[in-house]
Amino acid sequence: MNDFLQGNLQRFWELTGFANCEIGNFVMLAVGLFFIWLAIKKNFEPMLLVPIGFGILIGNVPFNTTAGLEIGIYEEGSVLNILYDGVARGWYPPLIFLGIGAMTDFSALIANPKLMLIGAAAQFGIFGAYMVALAIGFAPDQAGAIAIIGGADGPTAIFLSSKLAPNLMGAIAVSAYSYMALVPVIQPPIMRLLTTKNERLIKMKPARAVSQNEKIIFPIVGMLLTCFVVPSGLPLLGMLFFGNLLRECGVTSRLAKTASNALTDIVTILLGLTVGCSTQASHFLTSQTIFIFFLGFMAFIIASTSGVLFVKLFNLVLPKAKKINPLIGNAGVSAVPMSARISNNLGLEYDPSNYLLMHAMGPNVAGVIGSAVAAGVLLGFLA
Amino acid sequence: MKRKCLLLAIAALTAFGCSFAQNRKALKINEVMVQNESSIVDEYGNRGAWIELYNSNFGPLEISSVYLTNDSTNKTLYPVPLGDERTKMGKRQMVIFFADADATKGTFHTSFTLEPGKDNWVGIYDADGLTLIDEVTIPASLPAGASYACVIDADGNETWEVRDGSTPTLYITPGGENTIRDTNRKVEDFAHYDPNGFGMAVMAMGIVFSALLLLCIAFKIISKIGATVSRQNKAKAQSKSESTAVTAKDVEHDSGEEIAAICMALYQHLNAHDTESTVLTINKVKRAYSPWNSKIYNLRQLPH
Repeated sequence: MNDFLQGNLQRFWELTGFANCEIGNFVMLAVGLFFIWLAIKKNFEPMLLVPIGFGILIGNVPFNTTAGLEIGIYEEGSVLNILYDGVARGWYPPLIFLGIGAMTDFSALIANPKLMLIGAAAQFGIFGAYMVALAIGFAPDQAGAIAIIGGADGPTAIFLSSKLAPNLMGAIAVSAYSYMALVPVIQPPIMRLLTTKNERLIKMKPARAVSQNEKIIFPIVGMLLTCFVVPSGLPLLGMLFFGNLLRECGVTSRLAKTASNALTDIVTILLGLTVGCSTQASHFLTSQTIFIFFLGFMAFIIASTSGVLFVKLFNLVLPKAKKINPLIGNAGVSAVPMSARISNNLGLEYDPSNYLLMHAMGPNVAGVIGSAVAAGVLLGFLA
Repeated sequence: MKRKCLLLAIAALTAFGCSFAQNRKALKINEVMVQNESSIVDEYGNRGAWIELYNSNFGPLEISSVYLTNDSTNKTLYPVPLGDERTKMGKRQMVIFFADADATKGTFHTSFTLEPGKDNWVGIYDADGLTLIDEVTIPASLPAGASYACVIDADGNETWEVRDGSTPTLYITPGGENTIRDTNRKVEDFAHYDPNGFGMAVMAMGIVFSALLLLCIAFKIISKIGATVSRQNKAKAQSKSESTAVTAKDVEHDSGEEIAAICMALYQHLNAHDTESTVLTINKVKRAYSPWNSKIYNLRQLPH
C-alpha cells in the first residue's frame, strides 16, 4: 500500500511543472510578466500585449511532454493546438484585416491620393531589413518573413511568417508587436534628426470633403487594382477592402459593427493568446530570436527614415502651396493610428496650431495597404 | 418587375459562375504504364496497364462523370462512376486507373485496355462528353516495364519522358509526384542570383509603388469626375431654386470644417433643446486607449 501511494505520488511529481522546468521557462515567464506590466502600467498596446503576455505564461508552464497529455500548443489535437490553427494556417490575420477595414476611414487618403506614395516609400523598411537579414545569414524565405516586421503590421507579419518561416513565427510576432508598442519611443528622435525647424512648421491645407460615392468606390477599385497587381495579397487586401465597403456602403452597418467590434475582439484574443503560447522556451530562446529582434528594430528605423526622407524629396517637386510636412512621413509605417498620433504630437510641439493628425492618417492607412502589398510580393516571390 | 428581373439576372450570373466552378481543367494525365511487369498490383492481385491522373489544383476535385478513353472516336468510352467517395481527389493528389478492360471490377478499372507495341492514345473528356481535358499518346517504342511520365522542367514546361527505374531520376512513381522536390527553387534562385537582396528590394519596391501609384491615379481621376458631377448637380439645384447659392467653384473648395459648421448650425437650429440625453451610472466609464476601439477609426476628427 505504501509503495502504491509512493509510486503514484512519484508519478504525479513527474507531471508537475516543478519537475519539468528549465531555466528557459523562467526567462520566458519573466518576458510574459514584463509584457503584462507594459500593457497595464504603461498602457502600451494593452489589447495585444495582455493576451500575448498571458499567452507566454500559458505556453511556458513546463509539463511532461512525453506523458501524452495533449495539452501543449504543438501537440496535435490539444485545445491550444486547435486554436493555434488560425495562426499556423494564417486565417486569423485576414479576419483582423476585415475588422481594420471596417474601422478605418480612408477619407484622408481619398482626399489627397498622393499621400499613398508615402505609404509605399515607408515599405522600404521591409526590403532594407531583408537585405540586412541576408547579410546576417538568413535564407531568403526567412529573411522575407523577418523583414515584414518593418511593415509595422502584426497580422501581416503573422500571415507572412506562417507561410514563409513557420518556425520563426513566434519570435517575429512578438518582435512586431513589441516594436509597434515602442513606436512612440523609436520614431520621434528619427523625425527630429531628419527634419529642419522650417520643415516641421509647414502647414498643410485642410483636406477636402469626400463624398459618400467616393468612399464606396474606394474599396472596390482599391481591391481590384491592388489585387490585380499582387494576387498573392488577396487574403489580406480582399478582407481589408471588404471590411471598408461594409462600413462605407451605408446598408450593412450591422455587419460593419460586428466586424469592427465583436469579430475583431474575438480574433484579437485568440491571435494574441496563441501567438503568446507559441513562444515556448524551447522554440523561442534561440540565437535567431536575438537577430530577429535586432532586425525588427532595424526595419522600424529604416521604414521611418525612408518615409520622412521621401516626403522631403517629394517636396522638391511640389509647388509651395502644396508642400507636405515631413513629420507625417513616419506615418507610412502602418502602426495605425499610433504613428499618425506621433506626427500630430510632434507637429503641435513645434506649432500648437498645426494639427497633422488627419494628414498623417493618409499615409498611415496607405501603409496598411502598402505592407499588405509588400507581403503579397514576398509571398509571390518566395513561397 | 424590375426587382424580379434583377433577381433573375443574379441567378443567371450565379449559374454562369457555378458552371466555371465545375471546370476540371486541372485534371491531368500524369503517368502511364502499358506493360506492367513489376510495378503495382490492383486489389485483385493482378498486374495490368495503368493510367495515373493528377489533380494539379490546390483544391479538391470531383472526377466522377468524367470520361476516360483510348478511342478518339468514342469519347465516352469509360465514364468514372458516380457515388464513390474515392473519386473526390484531394489537392495535388493522384489516382490510378487500371486499364484492364473489366469495368465490373470497380471504379478504378476502365472498360478498355492499352496495347503494347503500338501507339496508345489516352484522353480525358469532361462530363459533357465533348470537352477534352487532357490527352497523351504513349509511343509504341515504350519498353515493357517502363512508364511514360509527365515531368515539369525548371521553367514550368511540361515534357514527357520514358522511365524505367534505372536511375533515381527515372523512378516509376505510381501514386506519387513524378518530380521530387526537396527544396524551394524560388528561394534557391534568390539565394544564388540575388545574395545581397538588392534585386528583391528594387523589384518589390517597384511593385509596391506601382500598386499604390495606380490607386493614386485612379482616385485622382475619380475625384475629378466626382467634383464635376457635384458641380453639375449643384448647378441644377441652383437653377431650380433660383437662390443665391454658392458658386460651383466654391463647392469644390468646401472644406470639412465649413461643412461641419453648417451641419452643426442646422442641427442646433432644428433640434434646440435644453436637456441632453444622459445616463447615470455608478460604474467607472473610463476606457483605456487602444487602436482596436479608437474613435479615430469611427469619427472624422478635425482640429478645433
